[in-house]
Amino acid sequence: MIIDMQSSEVPRLNMSSWEIGESRYLPGMEIKKLGKEKFVVYIGPQHPGSGHMRIIIKVDGDVIVEADPDLGYVHRTMEKLSEGRAYIKIIPLVERMAILDACNATLPYVEAVEKLLGLEAPERAKYLRVALCEINRIASHLYGFGIFGVFLGHSTMYMWGFGDREILVELAEKLTGARLTHTYPIFGGVRRDAPQNFTDNLRKAIRYLRKRLEDYRRMFLDNPVIRKRLEGVGIVSKRAATDLGLVGPNLRASGVEYDVRAVEPYEAYDEFDFEIPVFEEGDSLARAWVRVEEIKQSLRILEQVADKLDKTKGQQIMHDRFWAKVPPLYKKVFEAEGRVKLMPLFAILRVPKGRAFARTEAGRGEITYYIESDGKDKPYRVRIVSPSYRNAIMFKYAIPGHRVADLPAIYGSFDYFPPEADR
Amino acid sequence: MMPAKFVHKKTPKIGVLSSIGKNASALVLGLKYFFEPNRFTLMYPREYIVLDKRYRGFIVLIKNKCIGCESCARVCPTGAMKMVKFEVPNPKNPEKKKIVKYPTINHQRCVYCGFCVDICPTEALYHVPVHDVVYFNLADMIQYVESFQKEPVSPTAAEGAVPVKYIFDPERGLVKVRIKEGEKQ
Repeated sequence: MIIDMQSSEVPRLNMSSWEIGESRYLPGMEIKKLGKEKFVVYIGPQHPGSGHMRIIIKVDGDVIVEADPDLGYVHRTMEKLSEGRAYIKIIPLVERMAILDACNATLPYVEAVEKLLGLEAPERAKYLRVALCEINRIASHLYGFGIFGVFLGHSTMYMWGFGDREILVELAEKLTGARLTHTYPIFGGVRRDAPQNFTDNLRKAIRYLRKRLEDYRRMFLDNPVIRKRLEGVGIVSKRAATDLGLVGPNLRASGVEYDVRAVEPYEAYDEFDFEIPVFEEGDSLARAWVRVEEIKQSLRILEQVADKLDKTKGQQIMHDRFWAKVPPLYKKVFEAEGRVKLMPLFAILRVPKGRAFARTEAGRGEITYYIESDGKDKPYRVRIVSPSYRNAIMFKYAIPGHRVADLPAIYGSFDYFPPEADR
Repeated sequence: MMPAKFVHKKTPKIGVLSSIGKNASALVLGLKYFFEPNRFTLMYPREYIVLDKRYRGFIVLIKNKCIGCESCARVCPTGAMKMVKFEVPNPKNPEKKKIVKYPTINHQRCVYCGFCVDICPTEALYHVPVHDVVYFNLADMIQYVESFQKEPVSPTAAEGAVPVKYIFDPERGLVKVRIKEGEKQ
């Protein structure tokens, strides 16, 4: 519809002239007609859910016959930027990939560089890393739940998920000094020791969240209205999940036993007694349940971490290579504030020539880093494979066959996070 | 060594009759929180959080301690910190000038990772637990030596907002507590 701005007459909308197929729509808002009752609908890229991505769907009536995930709207060239930066400067860069999962996203990078340097973090540093990883995992799942709730029109879950996440963000702030971008693990250890009352606060938060999960079950998971929308929707079979290479809770909801914490334990995960829940159904409801069960297990790990932190109080949290020969001022600061001061060599750290590979289980699944060093102070190549990118392919196979109204129930259940996928 | 175990589970099934009960249960829970809400919203301009001493807030320079080693500028991941040269009279040779370097911070770029504070060999930089400073133009955000030494003041605190802090509670999660005058954090 072209409105003549010159004429004083208010243009009258003639609905019959709005024919589909003619360029009478605003740019980017076209609807293409494929045949009788068949359309292409663009969902996104202006925030269809938790970030910028687009799903191009072809509908027949209101049944989706084809879905095509269109990624890359928040691509920030993290891999290329890493090639021009000193090793330590990449940590604050890559944690912006998934800021509510910052420790899980940077830990494999730190581990890979540690492998090249040939050092391992001290015992207490490992416990502190596990503590922050699990805090991040719960926060990430609660965030996912909040978004999932608002997708389904269940705004109570949205408020509860985001409200309870605040407790974990507060815990992380007390530990690291920052709410989201913690920049906590560093080559050879972690940057700050836990404050005096950290384990007490942690135990209080665990008790509260255990009680709260029961509320979530009553309000959200067992709510018949929600169950009707999730049960049997977006089924991913075990075969499809393994063929397409899904990771994380989405894979485990389809009945596949795979978790990096179990198959290749990193940091101190082999010292803790915990279970990894696997659900058989593979539908949206199973994907919601697997996350709740995972939060329960994370709380169980955190309880054990709190005991370990109490036992290892006062131990060093930095590898001897960067801590044995530090000036007395550094040790004084560590004793007074629990802050690890970095040796000036960190800014120009040269990493020996070689290739390293490390992976961890982030909130949304396995995250992998491959680092190639040519012996300089900058990496030759940093390759990141993030969990959301590997899960994105599922949109193509899980959505067709469902009605348009089911799309949020499927999209939300995947806990897909575009900034993480696009890197 | 005790590797994690995989435990297979099934989503609970509910029938028609129990679904009525579950629906009622959700409604009752909603009503419970309607009458006893568990809120801890910060009423921001009227209240402000007194942050922890460990909080990574604005960065302040202690000029006397600075030795001009450039470590902070080298480690800065965003290039927010730069060294600026100054000419000062040389006490040994009054005819010649001595060149000293001091860091400058650009708050447009700073991400408050705190690497500069941690790497400083003489503890010349420190974090202030303040995070809500507002600037009226972009030029103010670049702080040279003089303004870099001043501790920023939270505008909400200066305007007399109520100081609060959050404490952990096993029953309510987080509880907002008002800090009384004279009470130490």
